[in-house]
Amino acid sequence: MTAAGAAVAVLLALLPLAVHNAYFINGMILVFIYGTAAEAWNLLGGYAGQLSFGHAVFFGLGAYTSTMLLARAGISPWLGIWAAAGLAAAVSLVVGLPTFRLRRHYFALATLALAELVRVLFLNWNLVGAAVGLYLPVRLMNQSWAMIWNTKTPYYYIALVLFGAACGAGAWVGRVRLGLYLRAIDEDEDAAAALGIPALRYKLLMMGASAALTALAGSVFAQYVLYIDPSTVLDPLRSVLFAIMALFGGRGTVAGPAIGAGFLILLSQYLGGALGGFGRGYDYVVYGLLIMWIAAYERRGLLGLVRRLRPRPTAAPGPEVRPATHGADTRGPRPAPALLLEVAGLAKRFGGLRALDGVDLEVRRGEIVGILGPNGAGKSTLFDCITGYLPASGGRIVLHRAGGPRLLAGRPPHWIAQQGLARTFQLIRVFPGLTVLEHLLIGQEHRGESIAAALRPSPPAVRDRAEGLLRFVGLEAHRNAPAAALSYGQQKLLAFAMALVRHPPLMLLDEPVAGVNLTVVERLKDYILAQNDAGTTFLVIEHNMDALMALADRLYFMANGRVVVEGPPEAIQQSDEALNLYYGR
Amino acid sequence: MNLLLTAVVQGLIMGLVYALVSLGLGLIWGVVDVVNFAHAEYMMWAMYATYFAVAGFHLDLLAALPIVVALGFLAGVCTYAVLIRRIMSAPAVTQIFTTFGLLFFLRYSAFAAFGPDFRGITWPPAGGSVLILGVPIGAAQVDAALAALITFGLLHAFLQWTKTGKALQATAQNPAAALALGIEVERMYMLAWGLSIATAAVGGAFLLTFYQVSPTVGDAFLLLMFASVVLGGFGSVLGPLLGGVVIGLVESVAGNLVSPTFKLALVFGALLLVLFLRPGGLLGQERRG
Repeated sequence: MTAAGAAVAVLLALLPLAVHNAYFINGMILVFIYGTAAEAWNLLGGYAGQLSFGHAVFFGLGAYTSTMLLARAGISPWLGIWAAAGLAAAVSLVVGLPTFRLRRHYFALATLALAELVRVLFLNWNLVGAAVGLYLPVRLMNQSWAMIWNTKTPYYYIALVLFGAACGAGAWVGRVRLGLYLRAIDEDEDAAAALGIPALRYKLLMMGASAALTALAGSVFAQYVLYIDPSTVLDPLRSVLFAIMALFGGRGTVAGPAIGAGFLILLSQYLGGALGGFGRGYDYVVYGLLIMWIAAYERRGLLGLVRRLRPRPTAAPGPEVRPATHGADTRGPRPAPALLLEVAGLAKRFGGLRALDGVDLEVRRGEIVGILGPNGAGKSTLFDCITGYLPASGGRIVLHRAGGPRLLAGRPPHWIAQQGLARTFQLIRVFPGLTVLEHLLIGQEHRGESIAAALRPSPPAVRDRAEGLLRFVGLEAHRNAPAAALSYGQQKLLAFAMALVRHPPLMLLDEPVAGVNLTVVERLKDYILAQNDAGTTFLVIEHNMDALMALADRLYFMANGRVVVEGPPEAIQQSDEALNLYYGR
Repeated sequence: MNLLLTAVVQGLIMGLVYALVSLGLGLIWGVVDVVNFAHAEYMMWAMYATYFAVAGFHLDLLAALPIVVALGFLAGVCTYAVLIRRIMSAPAVTQIFTTFGLLFFLRYSAFAAFGPDFRGITWPPAGGSVLILGVPIGAAQVDAALAALITFGLLHAFLQWTKTGKALQATAQNPAAALALGIEVERMYMLAWGLSIATAAVGGAFLLTFYQVSPTVGDAFLLLMFASVVLGGFGSVLGPLLGGVVIGLVESVAGNLVSPTFKLALVFGALLLVLFLRPGGLLGQERRG
């Protein structure tokens, strides 16, 4: 915990000793309960970028579960709240599995609809009191095992501890590898999958944690207000409020949701009084205006406004660093060429169009194989099929690894990446908001990485490797710059280096030197050759003939979804068929 | 059988009304690529505007209609010019957040101004009922459905047969290319917002003849609107029309034959099913984002 965080915690813990105003203490209890829910929402919506407008479901489930257990079965809430958290987490995983296939708006919409569905069900479910709701057994007043008191102080501390735990969870995620993975998933899920990051697993993890925390908040809320019904704890507006607190304060940070909750709850407590119109909704009018204003002027939320007042010095870009040169003459004798990648009869149809029409291709260990062909030949489609981004319509893709052959067809991209197959994209895909160094850290090996491992910082070996690659591609001066600040050529270098971190045995490069200046072309060529010497096999799509001729041991010439000619570069260069097709003669 | 026929006819008529109020949501989603979570609130404001024009100024509904629609158009244009323009390049998160802010603002300023009371109007031509295929339907609902068909027809004609309408479609398909062709994309966005809220205003005005307005009326409609648009797919006028009718049918058939309490649950269930199976809608293309 940082010094500031500790100071705030101590101050909040001492507050009830100094202030006895029940109205204010009530406000603070609500701040902690809503703040917990906002922090919980932020785990999913802030770090993982999945906007849920259905978190009232988990809040309500928490409230109903602990209350039912206490009122009907006499089970202490001290146990009941954990049952509530477990149930909410289980429900969230069942809900998350199908909903995570949806993106952005659709995910938000699905959660909104789910919340409505649950509210309607509870409104008509007699077992849980239907529309009438449930009263907590007030005859147990001031019995600590029942977690019911007629003073506010115990609630204050319970809510504060919960809130502290929620902030702690957020701080932890923000500090370990998982936090980086989640930001990468948020910014570009496909590109994260190309590194082997299992997005669904981490999103489900965050969903479960988020739901459990929200349920705890709901349980404590029920214990505090002593009465629940669907229109309070399952109110869709509540879901929106959790989201708005986090977004308003600044999503993806720990302080953001806490500040958002404090600001909005206290605002509505005191604004209602100030304008003399309790229940007239003035507070929500002001919320609405503030939300629009902050969204239009400072996307990072209140926290962003504060940061704007104290601008941090941005690192000036240092001088370009020349890479160590690796000449073609340094290429040693090739190891025995064992088969690495085998593509047989691969077909891909889009409606009536045959983008791939029975492609056969082999890559042997240690080779640099080029793929050449006119636009629309099916080259990128071939890559997308091999790496799992497009489902093939037919054919076989086999990766021959040390542990035995692996069939790649039908597998998800992150699984294929974990088999040791790295790729870059034709339209460059880096994570604009992540720094250069962070790109290299998330490039680490994800095969066999447990959730427990992801909850720790990057190991020293990965850090060393990242530093080494930074120097290798000459980006060390930009280590703390966000990728968005890099030039196009630098982004290409970064995408290349990021894929290299885990020493992939096979790398698929889609037009690695397109669109960059001659110096960078030469550098990229050097890097590819150097990495090839270090044991990586390459399959390269490229239109730059000179570059490809200098790099490739063998070439495949593709046209109309088929391999037309295959052979050493010189042979392709002299093939009339290939030249006619390429130049459209 | 008779029950089913009743349910189907009622569903069709209400479906057309849902289609009308959802049309603008799909239009903005398709053209401007912004999802307006406050769409139902504009409809609510149009209902209030109609109420005051008819009950306060004693105008006939048809005389009030042009005023309300013009105000709606203006409100849409202003919303784009003042607010949406600034978040066009923002991430989807910010855009969703912003329109929720708009929702809060519009709903609770109505609440602050008019209080929680329900208000309605009586419009003589909407009294009584008519027989459609032997099923008695309230004249008010039938009038609203006719208004929906006329609005859809006019908008379809505008998009297909005028140069501006084609420019609007071009903007929807590829704003960058449209800009390169000399189309003033900003003005197209503004126009789309104007048309969007104007159609919601038509819907709100006719809805008021059989549905009372209160500040929270949008709650009941927001998800119905989304269900219609997602079901039909956006980017065409026909999408929301089909989606609205399907939603109306699901709601009516479920409400009449299964249980009125769970009719909304079934509608949301249908929405979820479509989201999971065909996220691009029944007609539309899948779209990333």
